[in-house]
Amino acid sequence: MSFVTLPKSSASSAEGAAPAPAHLELRGVTHSYNGHAAVEAATLEVRSGEAVALVGPSGAGKTTLLRLMNGTLRPSVGTVVVDGRTLGDLSENELRRVRAHIGFIHQDLDLVPNLRVSQNVLAGKLGRLSFFQSLRAMLMPARADLELAHRILERVGIAEKLFERTDTLSGGEQQRVAIARALFQEPTALLADEPVSSVDPARARDTVALLTSISRERGLTLVMSLHNLELAREFFPRLIGLREGRILFDQAAAQVTDAQFHQLYDLK
Amino acid sequence: MKIGGTRRMTLAAIAIAGAVAFVALGLTPAQLVPGRGGLDVLSSFFARALSPAVAYESSVPEGTAPIVVKAIQASLRTVTFAVAGMSLALLLGVLFAIPSSQSWWQGGRPRRALGTAAWGASRTVIMLMRSVHELLWAVLFLAAFGLTPFSAVIAIAIPYGGTLAKIFSEMIDEAPRNSAEALRAAGASPLQIFFFGLVPRALPDMSAYAFYRFECAVRASAVLGFFGFETLGYYIRGSFDNLHYGEVWTYLYALVLLVVAIDVWSGALRRRFVA
Repeated sequence: MSFVTLPKSSASSAEGAAPAPAHLELRGVTHSYNGHAAVEAATLEVRSGEAVALVGPSGAGKTTLLRLMNGTLRPSVGTVVVDGRTLGDLSENELRRVRAHIGFIHQDLDLVPNLRVSQNVLAGKLGRLSFFQSLRAMLMPARADLELAHRILERVGIAEKLFERTDTLSGGEQQRVAIARALFQEPTALLADEPVSSVDPARARDTVALLTSISRERGLTLVMSLHNLELAREFFPRLIGLREGRILFDQAAAQVTDAQFHQLYDLK
Repeated sequence: MKIGGTRRMTLAAIAIAGAVAFVALGLTPAQLVPGRGGLDVLSSFFARALSPAVAYESSVPEGTAPIVVKAIQASLRTVTFAVAGMSLALLLGVLFAIPSSQSWWQGGRPRRALGTAAWGASRTVIMLMRSVHELLWAVLFLAAFGLTPFSAVIAIAIPYGGTLAKIFSEMIDEAPRNSAEALRAAGASPLQIFFFGLVPRALPDMSAYAFYRFECAVRASAVLGFFGFETLGYYIRGSFDNLHYGEVWTYLYALVLLVVAIDVWSGALRRRFVA
């Protein structure tokens, strides 16, 4: 159990001087499950404040790549470097602190359905609280934390749902809860794994637009995996194409050719 | 084909086991025909099913509360014993469920060997707690402490605590792990992941099961009356021994009403908080 000391409420720091957006780097990273490489020899750099889309068919290794970036997966070969710190050299506690500053929006959202929206959002900050502080935050939240959660929910468009039970919300609304939870972490980077797969196509564009604009206004590094190429091209200046665990291309969206896209999805 | 074969074998084994048990006990349909005396008891007992006593069937000392009042008091005492026993059982259940779940010992915790030993010890303790029935615990505690309410309360609390711990720990281990994984990705500690990612997912099932066990505790509390605790069982036995079948039905109906009331109440609570 760690006792990370924090001011009574950390709400004020939301408006204070924000830390620099995260700088993420993979150097020759391979990750294998049971001898099969999900990601192979990947080298890439996401600069502080950049917005990058990972594109490619399902099973190409996009999720694995994202999970390597925040250290929930350890590479079999190679190193992952976040803000100049090699994750492989960190202790479990140091790694937790790195993860606490990286918001991750999971493909299946992975909220706790039978808790209130407020509790799911406040859970975003568990990584910075001691166990007793987190008990208090989950059971008797401070007014300032609720106000911050409310402001974030307002930004994602569902402020009125603050005290609803999460599983009474629609799929699209629950997705906004997942986004709010990641933002409540006050992250320096957002990693979003196929955030449009859980909403209907009409909402997909709104979701991508919301995440890119929030990242811009808050100065966050954004990495999003997408298999919708049109959305990737429209909202991201830089695309990384993945196929069968390998990086096929990594370049400005405008320079990616149709031939490259075909190659990405071409079934052998 | 192979699965179908295994299933047939299993079904056959169950049928054979049943037949062997019947033969071993010498059970025959003829035994279900009651003797003359038994038939008399049965008929006079069921004759009162629709006419439970509203007054005592024999003279009672001056100032004795009317039987309906007595039935209500006995019902309340039955619930009180059950509530006391169940509160302790819940405490024990939660306390032992945590180290009895495998999830508690997973996830970055050092000293894994120690964890396995502690898990095994905890599983053994709860196994011993629930392997003895509450009536047998009652016999033991009656011998140790005499006829005090505490004997009945801990006789309920120990086996129920063990059962709750076992079921709770399995519910925690079987809960969906995706929200726990999400909290881990956000930097939460193993302790936080367990209590805020895993336990909440198991909580609806856990509370439904606890309500069910409370209903069982009420019945157990009633039966403990046979040993002399003043719950419904005490009066049922007394009236039955005196052949006052009308009174027996009054107390039985009180017990049925009690169980129905708890069922309705727990259902309402569950709809409000869980489902």
